[in-house]
Amino acid sequence: MEFKRTIIRTLSILGQRGAFGYALTEIAKINDEIIALTADLCTTSGLDRFKNAYPERVVNVGIAEQNMIGIAAGMSSLGYIPFATTFANFAALRSCEQMRHFMGYMEENIKIVGFGGGFAMGMFGITHYGIEDIASIRSISNITILSPADGLETAKATIAASQFKGPVYLRLTGVMNHPIVYKEDYEFEIGKAIQLKDGCDIAIFSTGGMVHQSLQAAKQLEDQGISCKVVNVHTIKPIDKVAIYKALDTKLIVTVEEHSIIGGLGSTVAEVLSEIKEKPPQLTIGVSGEYKPAGSYEFMLEQYGLTNNHISEKILEKYREAI
Amino acid sequence: MTNLEKYINTFVETFKIEASETEDLEYQAIPAWDSVGHMTLIAALEETFDIMMDTEDIINFSSFEKGKEIMAKYDVEF
Repeated sequence: MEFKRTIIRTLSILGQRGAFGYALTEIAKINDEIIALTADLCTTSGLDRFKNAYPERVVNVGIAEQNMIGIAAGMSSLGYIPFATTFANFAALRSCEQMRHFMGYMEENIKIVGFGGGFAMGMFGITHYGIEDIASIRSISNITILSPADGLETAKATIAASQFKGPVYLRLTGVMNHPIVYKEDYEFEIGKAIQLKDGCDIAIFSTGGMVHQSLQAAKQLEDQGISCKVVNVHTIKPIDKVAIYKALDTKLIVTVEEHSIIGGLGSTVAEVLSEIKEKPPQLTIGVSGEYKPAGSYEFMLEQYGLTNNHISEKILEKYREAI
Repeated sequence: MTNLEKYINTFVETFKIEASETEDLEYQAIPAWDSVGHMTLIAALEETFDIMMDTEDIINFSSFEKGKEIMAKYDVEF
């Protein structure tokens, strides 16, 4: 698939959900085994064009996420590559046992696409927010977890998932008109984090929609004379340990995610650091505390301190303590 | 090429239609102007006129004619 500048902007405007649907439609042109399943969310999953092009390759199971995973497992066992889509929390929490059995234990070649990771579902409210999905899925063996940073990376992660043999959870975050992290095409490899910016004082590991916010926060810190490395962790599991080892010479390691601070990227990095004797302190930025009142995507990021301004302030405070 | 010609041409190239078909064109009136086609059109217009549209304007861009009004907000005069 060729990613020219206008395509990259199109994927950005579409947001991660639309970018996924766009990519899957393109992949389906050359791979007859691709099947899309959805739990009553065909349009919301960005699958309109896919459905129009390949109506016989779309299965809408209705509001029955657990059945969807079972159907996907059956299709996988017949050699198909099923992409099953629903909200991140419905996939991870409602269908957790089916994911454990069919994906973890039986290792069926199922790709679950969880959209609305974090606060993307805005006014739908807490019931639709995906803030515990990485934590629950990460504890299940054998499931690769991808969390792309922008529209282009969503398309590339979708392609990579389709070519990867084994169960994958593709976590999508953000809303329409998603900020662009990658202005041109690049190499995407599952399990290999990407350093977007070099720096020597602080290493920021970020994932999903928080990558753009982290880059902006790093810029604000640079203005204050603090040099920040920013690493895009597009694969949460398996984690790129080498990328973390490369940050051991900094004064502070920071993780930023639109997910609970328990069980997500921050915990993953902490688990790697726990094996090392001499290491810098870690600051975990994410969703913590009580469930707060629901609102628009921007409002929720503001409430939970996940905007670039909040992120840079939190980092600065911790950095001053650390040095 | 005038701005109007560039504007029409962007529709023609994005949706693979004739220039004569553009004038009364509305979102979802043809298969090519679906949700993905819509975003492709917006990206192509941004590239052509070197602008970047706000989300609200992208959503409100419901027809060829409405699009002209929106483009005016970005100093693209017809």
